[in-house]
Amino acid sequence: MITRFITEVTTRFNPFSVRAKSARLFLAFLPADARSGGMKITTKLLPRTSAEPSALHVKFKDGKEMNLDVENMGIKSVVEEVDRHSRILQKQADLDA
Amino acid sequence: MPPRLRCPAACGFSSAISPSRIPLRSAVLLWSSAPKAPTPAGRYASSQAASPNLLGLPDGYVPPTKPPTARPSDTRKAQLLRTYTSLLRSTPLILLFQHNNLTAVEWAAVRRELNVALSKVPVSSGDGDDVAPNIHLGVIRTRIFDVALKLVEFYDPSTVAPTETTTARGAKTTVVYNHDLSKSAFDAVKAVTSGETPIPESSAYAQLAPLLVGPVGILTFPSVSPAHLAAALSILSPSPPAFPAPTRRKSPGYYDPIAQSGLQKLMLIGGRVEGKVFDVDGVKWVGGIEGGLEGLRAQLVAMLQSAGLGLTVALEGAGKSLWLTMESRRSVLEEAEKGPAEEAPAAETSTADAPAEGEKKE
Repeated sequence: MITRFITEVTTRFNPFSVRAKSARLFLAFLPADARSGGMKITTKLLPRTSAEPSALHVKFKDGKEMNLDVENMGIKSVVEEVDRHSRILQKQADLDA
Repeated sequence: MPPRLRCPAACGFSSAISPSRIPLRSAVLLWSSAPKAPTPAGRYASSQAASPNLLGLPDGYVPPTKPPTARPSDTRKAQLLRTYTSLLRSTPLILLFQHNNLTAVEWAAVRRELNVALSKVPVSSGDGDDVAPNIHLGVIRTRIFDVALKLVEFYDPSTVAPTETTTARGAKTTVVYNHDLSKSAFDAVKAVTSGETPIPESSAYAQLAPLLVGPVGILTFPSVSPAHLAAALSILSPSPPAFPAPTRRKSPGYYDPIAQSGLQKLMLIGGRVEGKVFDVDGVKWVGGIEGGLEGLRAQLVAMLQSAGLGLTVALEGAGKSLWLTMESRRSVLEEAEKGPAEEAPAAETSTADAPAEGEKKE
């Protein structure tokens, strides 16, 4: 996953729900130095009884915001969605350089 | 760590060297009287040393230290499974964390801070002083842990039927092979996995299974000690006001950037306390029990005492109110009885007087 262009990640999930998998795996995909590299990561854990859907909100360097439906998406599709925009940014960065 | 190379000796001497399992060429070399020719591969080296002529072991002999297993027992997975089952059976308090790409130095810093905080917990007389050094934070293999959870919950070793084996001297005995790697344990887990045995919603496995996704670490406590749990929570998942992080002055190491970045990546997701599954709030509730188990007992005693007091008051109250009602009614009746009696003579006198007066008037 290309994480260079992500500036902010906000997640919310109930770990006892089976549908929290994608959100949790997305957090595990972020590199070890993500926070020190300036990425803002906020996680909110919902209580066990809560039926609130899990959510993933990603902000990019160019200001684009993505609200991903992690409840019904697998981690592969989530990464694909995020990478689709990251690749555009990467292309631009390569042309500018 | 067990050896990762499998050798046939692991399956039991006699089965490894039984002629049916050895290819013809090797068998010729193995059973030939002269041991001058080396075996083609090192594979049979141990078998040759343990030829049946030297050991004199009967057919079907199973060494007691190597009971038969459903899958190879000398793999890392198998031994990990045994570790996890014994951990799950013996550990009353387990906290589950998600760890997102912590580096080795960050793990070291987190463990250091955890140990510092745990060593500061005052030792109570009931717990003994061996709780803090036996609290460990480690990473688990989730798939094997999942199998171990199933094994602990759905496999009952006491129901396994004994099997007949041969001792080293050739006598027949019955032995129960009900260890965690045995065929019966394997079948029990397989039945659960394939859906043959339904998994009840209320089982701890059904509740814990969604947590075992992605990178998971566990913090294990040798006993349910809320004081130690509170100390661990204040480091790993601080939440003021109940579990505040240590102050900068008291433990500067906690504010070390490496420790902080490690702690940011650790995320408490749940816990298992005495076989029951708790979420983050539940774990915090357990950590917040004042005075540990003794404190909880004291609370219970106080509650029962006050309940008893309330009960006696309530029971007494009914009788008392009845008595009061009856008593008041009695006094009313008495008064009513007394009242007319006192008035009646007066009336009689008046009526008696009246004619007298009338007579007087007449």
